[in-house]
Amino acid sequence: MPDHAQLRRATAWMSGTAVEEGDAARVSVALPDSSGHFPPEPDIADGACGPGSTALEPGRLYRRISGRDDRARPVRDEELAELGDPMAVTFFRAGRFPTTVQELLSELPATAAASRKVYLVSEAGQISPGALGERDMRFAMTTAVEGNQVDLLVSTQAGGDPERGFLQVAGWDSAAKVFNFYARFESSWVWAGNSWHSLEPDSRGKGCFDSHVNGSAVMKELRIPWLNWQSERATIRLAEDDPLRQDQLFQQVIGAERLELTVRFLVTRWTAARLAAVTANGVVDHPDRLLRHLFTNTTVNLTSTDRQSSTITADSGELTLPSGFWLNQDLLFDDLRLFTQAAPPRAPAAAYLAGLTRFGFGLEEKFSGFSQPGDTFFAFVVPEAAHEDNEVVRQMVRKGLISARFAACALMVDFPNPVFSPARSLLMRYVPTTPTKAAELGEEVTRAILDAARTRNLPADSPEARFAAHWQVPEDAWPSVFGQRVDAYLRKVTQRVQTASGFDDYVRLAESRRRQFRRMKLHEFELTMPVTNIPPGAPPLAMREDGTVTELT
Amino acid sequence: MATLDAYGPPGNLDDLDDFGRKAWNKFISDTVDEAIQGPDPRQVLNDSPRPQFYNLTGTDTASDVQRVSITWTSFPRIIKITSVGDLQRWQRADASRDVQDEYCEWSVTRDGSGKITRVTFTCEGPEYWEVLAHTNPDKVVDLYRAFISPDVRKEDLFSPSGRYQPRNKWNDSTSHGAMHLIQANNTLGAEIELAAAATIRRVVNGQELSTEQELVNCSKYGAAERNSDPHIGAGVNALARQRADISLADPVGLYFDDLSTDGWETPDGSDPRSYWTYVRGDSEHRVRAVYEVPQDKGFAVGDITIGGRPIEFGAQIADFITIRLTGLACRFDGSTAQPQTACKEFPAVDVRPEGFGASAFSTSGRFLDPRPTLSYRSSRAT
Repeated sequence: MPDHAQLRRATAWMSGTAVEEGDAARVSVALPDSSGHFPPEPDIADGACGPGSTALEPGRLYRRISGRDDRARPVRDEELAELGDPMAVTFFRAGRFPTTVQELLSELPATAAASRKVYLVSEAGQISPGALGERDMRFAMTTAVEGNQVDLLVSTQAGGDPERGFLQVAGWDSAAKVFNFYARFESSWVWAGNSWHSLEPDSRGKGCFDSHVNGSAVMKELRIPWLNWQSERATIRLAEDDPLRQDQLFQQVIGAERLELTVRFLVTRWTAARLAAVTANGVVDHPDRLLRHLFTNTTVNLTSTDRQSSTITADSGELTLPSGFWLNQDLLFDDLRLFTQAAPPRAPAAAYLAGLTRFGFGLEEKFSGFSQPGDTFFAFVVPEAAHEDNEVVRQMVRKGLISARFAACALMVDFPNPVFSPARSLLMRYVPTTPTKAAELGEEVTRAILDAARTRNLPADSPEARFAAHWQVPEDAWPSVFGQRVDAYLRKVTQRVQTASGFDDYVRLAESRRRQFRRMKLHEFELTMPVTNIPPGAPPLAMREDGTVTELT
Repeated sequence: MATLDAYGPPGNLDDLDDFGRKAWNKFISDTVDEAIQGPDPRQVLNDSPRPQFYNLTGTDTASDVQRVSITWTSFPRIIKITSVGDLQRWQRADASRDVQDEYCEWSVTRDGSGKITRVTFTCEGPEYWEVLAHTNPDKVVDLYRAFISPDVRKEDLFSPSGRYQPRNKWNDSTSHGAMHLIQANNTLGAEIELAAAATIRRVVNGQELSTEQELVNCSKYGAAERNSDPHIGAGVNALARQRADISLADPVGLYFDDLSTDGWETPDGSDPRSYWTYVRGDSEHRVRAVYEVPQDKGFAVGDITIGGRPIEFGAQIADFITIRLTGLACRFDGSTAQPQTACKEFPAVDVRPEGFGASAFSTSGRFLDPRPTLSYRSSRAT
């Protein structure tokens, strides 16, 4: 019988998307965020990056890359020699196989102990300790073993039997410039692949790469208020007599605001290594693997207001809704530097409260039977454009693979929908899938889109025609022209959000995006998102540039 | 542990002479005592006294003492959540000391091309400088000359009548130096008052409040919008809920906790952290820091990148700085203090003009409250 953690984790795999993609994976190496749990029983791991049906010998490193390996097999000597991360070097090459996190940490060099940071996360962490039996507390740890920068990430359950709880590691190999992902099964370890495997079609999205979608570290709730994490904005609730209080790791927990800085760096480092490698000979073999970060959402982050939902009253003042709900602020304003005078739209607290009632907001976990009315701890959680995607775009622009103008023209095609935009995704069809000179990548895609807009008699509001219109804006004018459009959009949104109907529309839009998130494998815990009385089959919605919300056609 | 003989100066700084040290001890000790007493219950309801807060010079610290550090990000959260994008928030935070309200302020030095060459950060409360100015004004001038500019003149810092001006031409901007905190809420008095007020447990409608925002909204000991106030309050209150007696560790002050340099890169591959230097305070209590690259390195702060982006604003560095205060808790499970069963309230009062006396102004000149018993205490409540 799977344990509660597995059941909670398993909810992700019941989604239609997961089934459609034929991914039988049910477990994940997920570091260092609020991600999954490896079950202790091999049968549950079947089909994932766990051992499969293989019986594992204690004290051994196996390999199982989901989508590539049917079952775990011992890592060969030459494979082990190529694993250059601190976990492989310190432990596996030396024939050491720690069975608990305490053992793992104690056997690292003293310098690693000095740099260690410990974080705590739980989707149930703000629910009253007595209201829910098991709360899935996890520690995430970072440490620098070989230098000054973080190169080892550990995720494990907080409290309980350390020999039975999941224990997962991502190690940065500074020579190969990749993360290696590992998980412990009883007294054995499984290497689940490296960062590059996340990008290969056979293993992409499978096993540990369901959450490490692009091969890097993951922290879904990356931005203030770091929903679900212990941070300077919220302390995870524990019963006064919770034995976790006596846990040495718990006593070292610091705020997730620090982890945000580390994860951003880790994503940047891997992205830089990745782009350097794929452009090394001047030819990009798989341009689509790069440009999907611009035109689609390979993954998302979660954002919210940083107001505790239960403390909001009608006279609380206005609620600043997360900017990532309205647009991709990081790329548009910070990287592409659109000129803006905008301020974040604010909603009346009374409208928010009315919405909670009207739409029947609640938290529910079906398998445990837990439910409570109201929103998530921090109000108005929604998916936003992922830092991982943005970082690839940012670095492609810096390296000259694409121009800032090109990126801006693409994003402006449907900028009010920073996530799940069919219009923007449609432009992927113009991205070559065969080797292309790096220096000509942006031009080639631009030419293909412009040709389509010109020759296929497409309507003026088609993504191609919109891109073509943007391309007509002079080189020295697009930051101000696009900035004015974005400002005008935000002004309209600011007006509409003040009205009851406008706010309700935005609640529906938020729920529509949450439904799409729930279909992603990244959705691991039911308590991550609120439920509403909006039917699950309601049509997907999109934002328009005039601030109105429409059904996606 | 015995009682403390006297509160030491922030960072154990040695600027004060004997008289100054006595004055400083008196200031902290009195402020702690006033914070223990709390506001007049006829004027403020449910906020006094604070029996779980104690004065280290008057009450002993028991052997079960725990030191608890509370840290927070120095970048002002209010600016963060009211901006769209990093560029906008960095520009706004670098524009005025008045928005740098997380007990950390900074000043940016640029070269002729606008590139950043140095950023100076301070977390020194203004009260220390008031005491120093009263007891040893020449030392104040010397320190300004050493840390801000040799061009500082005494008359730049003191009024014709000899009163120290905390906001002076060398300490009122984000470009001409930052000697100590001047933002209206960045005071040690505010820190002490906040910590004391947060020791009050609140059981409202049968439910004990415990979250950052519940507590700050109910106890009104600061601004819910800041990183620091709710976090400090929740950290202190968590100790209070363990029925401990609580105080601020000596030397009472606000200190730099850490600078993270994750994702920072220098042009020559050198360690970006090596250019972060603490220049005031002892090794455990840093109150002033400078980020600057030595000239012989051949590059400047503005050539260092964070996440691939050059440092164009001091605020980019502030994102990576944490500030700390340290509390002491002891006699766990020993306190018999009863929780308040309602939130802090201000009953309607008839405020008359005569109530607006000199004592209605804080040492930094900021009006706080017309009621005299409240006005002399610093407060971060807005």
